Amino acid sequence: MALLSMALGIGIVAYLFWEGGPFIWNQGTQFLLGLDWFPGEDYGAAPMIFGSAAVTLMALIFSTPLALASAIYTAEFLDPRRRLTVKAIMEILAGVPGIVYGLLGVSLLSVWVRDVFNLLDGYTLFSASILLAIMILPTIMTLSEDAINSTPAEHRQAASGLGLTKLEILFSVALPHAAPGIAGAILLAIGRAMGETIAVMLVIGGLDRIPEPWFDVFSSGQSIASKLGREAAETLGSGEHWSALMALALILFFLVIFLTAFGNWLIKGFRK
Amino acid sequence: MTRVQKEKIFSGALAFLTLCACSILAFILFAVFSRGFAALSWEFISSEARDFGAKGGILYQIFGTLLLMFASTTICLPIALGTALYQTEYLKSSFWKKAFKIFMASLNGMPTIVLGLAGYLFFGKFLGIGVSWLTGALILAAMIIPTAHAAILEAIETLPEHYQETGISLGLKPNQRIIAVVIPHSVYGIITGTLLGLARAGGETAAIMFTATAFSGVTLPKSITEPVATLQTHILVLAQEATNPIALANAWGSASVLLGIVFFLILGAKSIRNRLTWELER
Amino acid sequence: MVHKFNSYKNAIYGAVLFFFLITSIIATANENNLRIAGSTTVLPIVSRAAEKFKIKHPNISISVNAGGSGVGFSSMADRRIDIGMMSRKISENERKKYKGQEFIIYTLGRDGVACAISSEIFSDGITALSKEQIRDIYSGKIKNWKTLGGPDKKIVVVDKERHRGTRHAFMKYIFGNPTARARGARLVSGSNNEEQSKIAQSNSAIGMLSQAWINKNVASVALVHEGMQIKPSIQNIKSGAYPISRDLDIVTQKNISIVARQFIEFLLGPEVRPLIEKSGYVPIR
Repeated sequence: MALLSMALGIGIVAYLFWEGGPFIWNQGTQFLLGLDWFPGEDYGAAPMIFGSAAVTLMALIFSTPLALASAIYTAEFLDPRRRLTVKAIMEILAGVPGIVYGLLGVSLLSVWVRDVFNLLDGYTLFSASILLAIMILPTIMTLSEDAINSTPAEHRQAASGLGLTKLEILFSVALPHAAPGIAGAILLAIGRAMGETIAVMLVIGGLDRIPEPWFDVFSSGQSIASKLGREAAETLGSGEHWSALMALALILFFLVIFLTAFGNWLIKGFRK
Repeated sequence: MTRVQKEKIFSGALAFLTLCACSILAFILFAVFSRGFAALSWEFISSEARDFGAKGGILYQIFGTLLLMFASTTICLPIALGTALYQTEYLKSSFWKKAFKIFMASLNGMPTIVLGLAGYLFFGKFLGIGVSWLTGALILAAMIIPTAHAAILEAIETLPEHYQETGISLGLKPNQRIIAVVIPHSVYGIITGTLLGLARAGGETAAIMFTATAFSGVTLPKSITEPVATLQTHILVLAQEATNPIALANAWGSASVLLGIVFFLILGAKSIRNRLTWELER
Repeated sequence: MVHKFNSYKNAIYGAVLFFFLITSIIATANENNLRIAGSTTVLPIVSRAAEKFKIKHPNISISVNAGGSGVGFSSMADRRIDIGMMSRKISENERKKYKGQEFIIYTLGRDGVACAISSEIFSDGITALSKEQIRDIYSGKIKNWKTLGGPDKKIVVVDKERHRGTRHAFMKYIFGNPTARARGARLVSGSNNEEQSKIAQSNSAIGMLSQAWINKNVASVALVHEGMQIKPSIQNIKSGAYPISRDLDIVTQKNISIVARQFIEFLLGPEVRPLIEKSGYVPIR
């Protein structure tokens, strides 16, 4: 049974390689750097790669401070019962289905973004990143909290014996110790953000173009996952279009696998 | 400012931020349920959708979601149990142990859209099952293996050493030990894994979008190869009619049902896990 | 012995294999199952017809999905579904991809693609546009409604996914090329529903929509064609006066199941005519 699941995993990777690989060989940098995606003519992945990177980065910026603050507070200042409550809340938040976020995005968030920032419409990279920020908040928070909480008691006692206040212990002992775990949490969150399809698909706008100017986050855009979600049904299984999509999937797959593996290594490795 | 004062201000600020983070969940629950309340009624839950969801209810969508959830978990459990047991009892070489852990973590982090597409091409096309609830269940099963695996693993690893020692001293062979000792003790983990797996499967849309579902015309599947209607895809289509108030109300209603199901599953899993922790602390 | 566990494992493998074998057999054996997918313009007709059909034939299950004309065609060509719905003709590229396969097209009705704008813009004075003006908007040359005599608002240009039938018809008229690029686009939507939503949500949007989706929030402009203003009304589509009209088709493989044939006969018959009109289109016979 274990072998069955491993075979499954290897099978999926092999398939992606088989379908997407040849496409990348043939097109090479033109594929990765191409700015236009127009099935039948051009297949440039740059707008999607940019979109995925942009929304993920922004989601991290919005989410990490809040997640870390909560993690520190929960680990250092809360009694065990409240700690469990907060962690339970985070776990439930993590379980909210992506489509519910999508619905909230389409009917509430996009209107709100449009009105607050006086835009033409609320279907932007920015909106997608807000949804993603909420989605990855529990991941960063719980894993960072675990990391901070597992600072060995002796280290803390030694520090307090030296007369340091809680705050100082936090910054000089706990956080440095938890740093790899926190870094790992962030990497896992990046992986999750890049892979999220349905919520992003509904609010990101769908325009296969890098915004002009490139930092205009209030323009519409496209992420790799969202592109796959929108176009895969069109050419399921065969053709040049499909190979291009598989190549995109390959890029996403490798990014996420790498981030996830590295992130887990940081977390687990440090726990010993 | 003294160091103690600094600390008070700091912790106060952190407390506020933590409250903000927690209130996001409250906001989401409130937003969904308050809007969905208007659409929810016995009729809504028990009748068929008509006019592309603009009228009627979500009976078959609920059925489809539940079917996919339970089928995938049923398929996944033996595999997850097997892998968890395999990892703890049979895998000795540290290289394979590491490889296995990396594999599980990767499967867990895999973008579900990729999993859905690849899964369709394998189960649907290659094995010939086509777009059907079985294909969806298989894909979802693959997706939740890491979740169930982790929960079962956690339960197995908290098995007190002396249970194993007692088993060995009684002369039990490995697999006999497993059946008599490990599995009964890890029942909590199996249940937790099941509930969490169900919750995760219920929340997934991208993997089943074009591999298992149809929007209209499906009631109860009469065979393994028929698609189903699900709450998730129903909401997806209705969300695209965001300016039609009836459709939107139905979307909120469906979202409330879905969120409610997932919410209770996770709460259930947590309370069982807490019982496990308390039992161990005795 | 470990072999006890092994035999347990083997039993599982055997069961799984057997399971798959059975499902492959069942897959080919289920004849009372009809799958339809494709254009969201044709969807209302087929969906309503399916509901009516099922009353007479309760043992036949018909599943209908959206996805767009391109998805409808490719799914049918790949034999994943029985009937594809298309609001455009099969393109050259599509025929090339499935060289050697023959497809049969049945036309159910006719529809017109409206150039849709937010109702606020319509009531502010923009009631007709020419081909050149629309072209300039979609290529990004005209960015504000005031250039056309309307209110001082930036235009939210809503484009559609490239394979959609509605887009093909629209682009063919505006740019002369059914798969033209719209460099001035700000958003891309999918189904008719999504496009309608996006136009309605904004107060300065323009988009392409089947005329059946026009409502109080989404107005249609009359096209300035050869000196006259032509609205996308049912009469104008019937008479052929409206320049952006297209057939609403269903496409199938050459060989189809008995159930599919039955349903197609039903679709082409008199009972479906009122459904086509109710959906807002022009029946073909």
